[in-house]
Parts: sequence; C-alpha cells; structure tokens
Amino acid sequence: MKTFIIILTLLTGVAVNSQASYEKGMTKAFELWENKNPDQAINLFERIAQAEQENWLPFYYAAQIHIFTSFGIKDANEIESRLKKAQDFLNEARTFSKDNAEILIMEAMLNTAYVVYNPSVYGMTHSAKVEELYQKAKVLEPENPRAMLYHAEWKMGGAKFWGKDPKAFCPEIEKAILYFEKEANHDEPFYPKWGMNQVERVQQNCK
Amino acid sequence: MKPILTISFLIISFFSYAQTTISGMVTDTKGIPITGANVYLDGTYDGSSSDENGTFSFTSSETGQQTLIVSFLSFETYYLPKEVNEMKNLNIKLKEDVNSLGSVVLNAGSFSAGDNSKASVLTPLDIVTTAGSAGDYIAALQTLPGTSNVSEDGRLFVRGGDANETNIYIDGLRVFQPFLTTTNNIPTRGRFSSFLFKGTNFSTGGYSAEFGDALSSVLLLNTIDEPDQEKTELQFINVGLGGGNTQKWKNSSLSANAFYVNLKPYQDIIDQRVEWIKPYESLSGEVVYRHKFNNGLLKVYGGLNYANLELIQEDINVPEGVNFGLKNRNLYLNASYKGSLGNDWSLATGASFANDFNDVKIVDTNVDDDENSFHLKLKLRKRFSNRFKLNFGAEQFINTFSETADSPDFDSFKTRYDNNSTAVFTEANVFFSKKLAMQIGARGVHNTLLDYTKISPRASLAYKTSSKSQVSIAYGDFYQAAQNDVLKYNTTLEPEKSSHYILNYLYQNNGRTFRAEGYYKAYDNLIKFDTEFAEFDSNFNNTGDGYATGVDIFWRDNKSIKNLEYWASYSYLDTERNYKNYPNKATPNFAATHNLSLVTKYWISDWKSLLSTTYNFASGRPYNDPNTGVFQNQKTRSFNSVNFSWAYLISQQKILYFSVSNVMDFDNVFNYQYSNTPNANGEFARRAIRPNADQFCILGFFWTISDNKADNQLDNL
Repeated sequence: MKTFIIILTLLTGVAVNSQASYEKGMTKAFELWENKNPDQAINLFERIAQAEQENWLPFYYAAQIHIFTSFGIKDANEIESRLKKAQDFLNEARTFSKDNAEILIMEAMLNTAYVVYNPSVYGMTHSAKVEELYQKAKVLEPENPRAMLYHAEWKMGGAKFWGKDPKAFCPEIEKAILYFEKEANHDEPFYPKWGMNQVERVQQNCK
Repeated sequence: MKPILTISFLIISFFSYAQTTISGMVTDTKGIPITGANVYLDGTYDGSSSDENGTFSFTSSETGQQTLIVSFLSFETYYLPKEVNEMKNLNIKLKEDVNSLGSVVLNAGSFSAGDNSKASVLTPLDIVTTAGSAGDYIAALQTLPGTSNVSEDGRLFVRGGDANETNIYIDGLRVFQPFLTTTNNIPTRGRFSSFLFKGTNFSTGGYSAEFGDALSSVLLLNTIDEPDQEKTELQFINVGLGGGNTQKWKNSSLSANAFYVNLKPYQDIIDQRVEWIKPYESLSGEVVYRHKFNNGLLKVYGGLNYANLELIQEDINVPEGVNFGLKNRNLYLNASYKGSLGNDWSLATGASFANDFNDVKIVDTNVDDDENSFHLKLKLRKRFSNRFKLNFGAEQFINTFSETADSPDFDSFKTRYDNNSTAVFTEANVFFSKKLAMQIGARGVHNTLLDYTKISPRASLAYKTSSKSQVSIAYGDFYQAAQNDVLKYNTTLEPEKSSHYILNYLYQNNGRTFRAEGYYKAYDNLIKFDTEFAEFDSNFNNTGDGYATGVDIFWRDNKSIKNLEYWASYSYLDTERNYKNYPNKATPNFAATHNLSLVTKYWISDWKSLLSTTYNFASGRPYNDPNTGVFQNQKTRSFNSVNFSWAYLISQQKILYFSVSNVMDFDNVFNYQYSNTPNANGEFARRAIRPNADQFCILGFFWTISDNKADNQLDNL
C-alpha cells in the first residue's frame, strides 16, 4: 500500500512536472516575443505545440506572431510564406478546439493581412471572409472585446475607402473597452486576453 | 527491499535527469548556414533555434532512440531518428521545399488566372472587368497573346488554329457546347456565368496528357469550392435581367441563378446591318450544389438554356437574302468529386452530360439536330514525395448525333452516328530541385467510330534562371477526331494531328510580369473535301497539312502608376494550311499576322469608379478574291477597336455599369464574300462582311443583398 502511494505521488509528480514545463515553455515563448525575437518565439510555440499534441494555444500564438510580423515586412515571398504557415497553424488549432471565437478572430486578422498586402488580388475575395469570420465570432461570444475592437477597425477601414465617416464605429470601440474591463481570467492558462493596449491606436480614427 | 527498488527505479527514471547536449549545424544543400531553423526532439520540450552561423545546441534529459526534427519556412522538414547521446556535431542539410513559393513552375504554353497559382498572370477579377468583354470570360481571354481577333465569331482561335481546335473543361470534365448557338457573323459568347469560377487555366499549347481531342488549346475552368456567404443578387441590364441566390449550410451550399436576354428593345433603337425578324432571345438557368465530406468535395452543376432567333442574312448570291431561324435548347450536367484516399493517394472523378437540340430553318429547309454526349473520368494521383508525383486515369466519351433535314427539293434526309472513344493517360511530375522540374506523360486513345488508336507523348521542362525568371520548354503530340459537320457524312477518316514545340521565358518581379513564348506547330492529316462545304456527296481525305509559328509577348504592370493596372499582348503569327477545300496551302481568313491588345484599368477613389479601356488591333486578314488568279492572297484593312467601360460603385452593394464597344467608331471589315458567277464585265462582285453594328452599349444596375455589407458584384461584370 505504502509503495502504491509513493508511486502514485511520484506519478502525479510527473504530471505536475509536465504541466510545469508547459508553463515554463509558454512563459519563455512570450518573453522571447516581448524581447523582439518573434521567430524564436514561433519556434518555441511550435515545439510546445508538437510536444503537447492536443492543445490549440501554442498553435494559435505561433499563428498570431506570423500574422503580426507580416504587417511589418515588404518582401512578398516572406509575407506569403508567413501567412501560409499561419493558416496551417490555425487549421491545427481548429482541429483541437472547435467553434472557438478566438481562432475565428485570428483567422479574420489573417485574411485582413492578405487584403492589406495585396488589395487588388485579395481585396474582393478575402474581404467577404473577414466580415463573415467576425460575425461568426460575435455569435459565439457576443462580448468578446477583440472581436468588437478589430471588427470596428476593419469597418472603419471600409468606411474610409468608401469616403464615409469612420467615426460611425466609435461607439463600438467604447463597447470593446467595456468588454476588456469586464473580461475575466479564463480557467485555461494562457487563454488569449490581449488587445487592450491596441484601443488607443484604433481610437485615432475618432479624433 | 522490493518497494525500495521500485522507488529507486522510478526516482532514477523520473528525477535524475542525465543531461545530454545535442548540437550541430543547419545549412541548405549548398552549405549556406540557415538561421532561425527550429531544432527539437519529437514529443519533448527540448529544442532551440539555430543561430546566425546555423549552429544550435541544447540539452535534453531524454535517452535512447529519439527523433530530432529540424524545420524552417520553405524548406522540407528534416527527421533524424538516432540515439540521443550520438546527436553531437550533427551536420544537417535542409532541402528546399519544392512546393513553396519561388519554386520553378511548369508553365510553358499556359496562362493561369487565380489566387493560388504561382505563375498567375491574371486574377479572376481581371477577367470580368476587362472592357469589351461584357461579362463574357471568353472575350477577356481574347486579350491574351496567342489568340487571334475574330470578333465576328466570338470563340477562341489559338495560334493559327480554328475555333474547333480548342476544348473547354469545367472541373476537369468536358463541356460539349460551351458557346451559345448563333449563326454566321453573329458573335457568340460563353454559355456559363463567370461568377461560378474561381480559377482559369488557359493553355495555348503543349498541355497535359490529361486532356486530348484538341489540336491547339484547352481552357480549364474551376468552379468555386465554397461561396463566401448567403446572398441575393439582382441584375438589370438594357438587354435583359437576372437574379441569383446562394444558401449555405454547415457542409454544403446551393447557388441558383437565372437570366433572361432579349435584344429586341435595343435593336429597335440602334440600327443594325442585319435584318432581324426575331431578335436574339434567351432564357438560362444554373444551379450548383456543393457538399464537403470529411475527405473530399462533391460538386454538382446543372445548366439549362433556351435561345431563339430569326433573321435575313445578306448573301451576294441571293439578292433577297437568306431567311435563317434557330431555336436551341441545351442541357448540361456536371458532377465531380475530389478527395483524398489516405496514404498520399487522391482521387478525382466525375461525369458530365450534355443534350443539345437545334431546330434550324434555312429558307424552306428544316434541319433538326439532336446530340447527346457523356464524359466519364477517373483520375488517381499518388504523391510519393514532394518531389515525385504520379497521375494516371481513364476516361470514356459517348456521343450520339442524329439529324433530320426536310426540304421541298428532297424528301427527308436522316443521319445518325455514335462516336465513342476511350482514353487512358499517365503523367509524372518530377522536381529535381526547386529550380528544375519536369512533367512527362502520355495519352492513348481509341475511337470506335473511326476505328483508330493513337498514342501521344507530352513533355515539359522548366528551369529557374534567377529568383525572378525562368525558362521552360514543352513538346506534345495532339490528335483530334473530325467535327460533326464531317462525321455526318464520313466515318472512315483518320484523326487530324498536330505537334507543338514551345519555348517560354517568364520574368516576374513585384507586380510586373513579362512573358515571351516562341512556338512551332506542325499540322498533319488535316481533312480535305472537294466541295464548297462538307456535304453528303463530298469526297473526303486526310491529305491536308500545315504549320503555325510565331511569338507571343505579354507584359503586365500593376506597380508603376498608382491605381492603374494594365497589360499588353502582342502576337506574331505565321501560318499556312491546306485543308477543307483549299486548292493549296494558304493562310486562313481567321489568322491575322499581327494581333495587339492593350488593357487598362484605372481606379478613381474619389469617384468610386473603375474605368477600363481595351484597345484591340489586328493586321489585315487574308481573303480570297476570285478576280485574281492566286488563292487567298488579298488582305482586308487592319482591325481597330477601342472599348470602354465604367463601373460606378453607388454603395458597397450597388453598382452602376456602363460600357460601349468601338468608341472611336472604326469601320472594320472581316472578310469579303464574292458572287459565284461573274457579272457582265466578267468580274466577280463582292460584299464586305462587317459587324452587325459598329458599336454595342450596355447599361446595367447590379444589386447585392446580403448581411455582409462589404460584398458586391464587381466580380460579375
């Protein structure tokens, strides 16, 4: 019996150990990202994703870094390969977490990146997708602050293009702020909870 | 004692990490270090990224046999199963992923339009916003080099080949009557609405072994897999009206549309050279259903089309003109399935069926045609590796044609034949490296009606000369059975044959594309007959031959001028052939030596308008003047046309569209018809064959109703 308990304790220890290395790995990856090492962060998220197997979060973050990095580069080949890789990661994420609003929002941002990169090729086809993805995300989580904020930013871009007033969507940013403030910590560690610091940038349109 | 042993064992295995250092260097196949490659042990957290010298080092507590994985963007992922303590000073060479961007593309002969194709020169949107195309995707393709401007016909004439030498496929399955039925000198257009397609591949020569029975060219159209959203679309045009609706469910979607065209009101206002009795009227409907399975996609397409017209055709030999009436009914069904079978096998299969019925009246002769055609196809593909893929498949064509002609001169004349053929094909794709690729294949066909069996080889090779340019070559033999107008009377002929030799250069750099292609095409076994038209008492033989050679140049630039996209195409064509009733080798009327197109699209944000212009030029076309002794040695004046269109976006969902063809009102002549008998002065009189109207105007309003306010029908125009 004693032996059994000891073994059980040890096994639990192993489980805790694995949980600990997950947390350590994820924390390290976020640090790398913050310290302007996006590619090393992507690599680490990818390694975690492979080791964890059925966890959507590392895939999600690896995709996010690729998408966000693509906004700052000019080389067409690099943009396309990053966005393609991001799509692969998001596809993986989706297989482990169905009907997930955060993944839909990230996919909307991926499609936005395509439109920004080459409007004449992707504008027509991908714009409709962006809109649809935000709407789907909002159906799943009506109070998701990221869906509210980035959808508003997307619509402001559209309004500017059509020569209309982007300020029409400012109340939606106010709503997003409200949702950010209300946003509770998720049970799942490292669950997406970013975006509050982007509010100010998007609000530039309201001045 | 025993428990202690167990515990110590557990402690050793779980807690006493014997740390092993794993180290090495990552380079490409040329030995150039790769920075930022992801190096890790499979299933563990142990790993790191390679540094600027390509070196990496990390520790792991794993022991025994493990798999080291090295991955990097646009390289093939590398797997190394090995004892952990032997993973030291590793030299890892990553191979470039031949499927990644920047790889060489086998593109000799072909033009792709689509989001995904690497050698894409046009986007799907380009096809439909080209001025002068009036929403017809075929008309837009006529601005690409390799095509001849034959605007009184409307079909595709590729590299000295006549319109029958091009076959059209939807989702890999043959379309038997891709064009609306018309008559001489009334241009036709594609039967299908352009918004069904997401991608187009137009091959002007040297195409894949998967396709056959076309001497010059194939046009491959792919329908969309999944519509963006649920929507209703309405179209109001000065010559007709239409509507469509799309519904989406979890794994499936349904789109339906209908269109009614009536040219009567338009032709009552605008003068026509032709005397219309019943101006062109048509009603068409299309339905597409798509269903996604776990491992595949099913698409079912159905289209039905009725058309009706009657007119008096001018004819130099018949002073009162020839009364011509036509009623056409066309049904087309196409079902295709594409899916993966696991283990790197994939399958594409499907069937298409067409029933085409024509009721033609020429003066007091009545001709009824009824044609049923089937195409069944199965294609398998095995991916052995990224570098070697094999396709093979089989297809069956079943075609039944029957015709009844009634005339007061003779009682009734019936013809009927069954034209069946079976084909098998295989093709291998080999990537030697990211820079060098080859496609090699063969096609075998057996035709039971004409009783022939032919094998045609196909090959192409492409080499990337720099990061922005590549050179490719292609060769192929092509056979084509005689057309209905000959098969009605003779079923013993050999197929016509052509051989293509193609050399292509492609340069793509940041929104600019330059493409030059030289080719030589040899024709053999062309069908000849000894009467003016193919008739029941003609003597047919296969002794005709010919050639076509030329250079096609394409230049596209989206970058140099803000908001302006343009492309220019130039084709030089030298061709002669001896076929049909030609007395000797000569250049046919449809083949102009020089063809030039300039297409521009200018977006004016302030006006929310897309202004498009297309300029077409063709040098004089050969025609035969019986007053001279030499066959087909005269040339018409050159052809010029400037087309203009203006799409004004009233709001995101409402578009006002205006287009006019031949703005400058050039007076174009396509050909001359000479009288059969000389007049009193011993001269053959003639009449010029000209457009029915020099200009054509379209005014339309397009309205999309959907939850998603961003969508509109700009891609339908």
